[in-house]
Amino acid sequence: MIHITINGKVVQAKDGEMLLTVIRREQIDVPTLCHHEAVEPSGACRLCMVEITKPEWDGWCDYVTSCLYPAADGLIVNTHAPKVNELRSSILDMYLARHPKSPEIRQLAAEYGVLKTQFEEIVDGNNCILCGICTRICDTMGFHAISMVGRGHGKEVAPPLNMAPDACVGCLSCAKNCPTNYIEYNVSNGNLSIWKKDFKMAACKECGKTTITKEFAEYLSKNRDINIDYFENVTNVTEKN
Amino acid sequence: MNNRFIVKPELCTGCRSCELACSFTHAVDGVRSLTRITPIDGGFKDLWVPVTCLQCDDAACIKSCLVNALKRNPVTGAVELNHEVCVNCMACVAACPFGCAVLDTQTNLIVKCDLCGGDPACAHFCPTKALEWKPIPKAVKKTG
Repeated sequence: MIHITINGKVVQAKDGEMLLTVIRREQIDVPTLCHHEAVEPSGACRLCMVEITKPEWDGWCDYVTSCLYPAADGLIVNTHAPKVNELRSSILDMYLARHPKSPEIRQLAAEYGVLKTQFEEIVDGNNCILCGICTRICDTMGFHAISMVGRGHGKEVAPPLNMAPDACVGCLSCAKNCPTNYIEYNVSNGNLSIWKKDFKMAACKECGKTTITKEFAEYLSKNRDINIDYFENVTNVTEKN
Repeated sequence: MNNRFIVKPELCTGCRSCELACSFTHAVDGVRSLTRITPIDGGFKDLWVPVTCLQCDDAACIKSCLVNALKRNPVTGAVELNHEVCVNCMACVAACPFGCAVLDTQTNLIVKCDLCGGDPACAHFCPTKALEWKPIPKAVKKTG
């Protein structure tokens, strides 16, 4: 156990634990867009920046992404120092210029006092902030169906060769965890389409209610040793009455 | 694991006190949560079966979770879902053969019985003792 100071309060932390984990445990609100507990941190969105210093640093301080900075003994962290707020609002200013139509970005920027960007807006842009939550979750779940494609201006999230990915099973984890709800999918009449691929939903034998795709059910039953009948049985007991 | 959750369907009157207790115990910010236990019609007159998570030894939900959000609590023996880690893929909802992991459509979170962290509220509120939280007799306990 080590001790660090967050906003003037001394808290305990495990050695090597990331600062953001400790900050979140103390229930301090630090905005993030690219953070998800299920995947490794990547420091893509830069919004979790905090000010760190140590008594022996003679007043010198550093600005780091807390999701990637391991806690060390005696560290003094300030999550809402004036300079940190300034950094965050300038980052949000740039997000707002690139994704002016995203309601999530607009709201977060407004919280930090950025109502209108000082840069030139990209009007025909999309809402993908390239945080990589979707690709990292897809990799962690073991599908590797989508990835970052291209560099610089042309960087985007896409399946290999922009064709329907073989590895995708339609679990929708990418779309449901997207911070700006950019990934589009369509569920209708027991069919699902995402990433240009079409899926059939597995229906409950009794009520016909659908939860996951047939491909996902088959994948789980094959790789995780679950009886395939389980996926065709009751999905929600509270609706049985 | 010193206690276990005992369900006796023959004592259940279908009064649904357990549902209320569950809903209010798991309320977040004053908003009632979806119940994790529900008495369903047993098929005969006056037979009700309270259905809730059985905390299976070889649980399909744990096996189906690809991001390890579902873990067994070694103290209570309950399978607990970590909402921070959960990616809402619905695999556990589909995998549970009893339909006891369900999606709360109000909060868009998957909920399942966690035995209230070792003191189930439904057992306190059951008027006929159809639900009980009792110490495991020594002779029944697994050895080793």
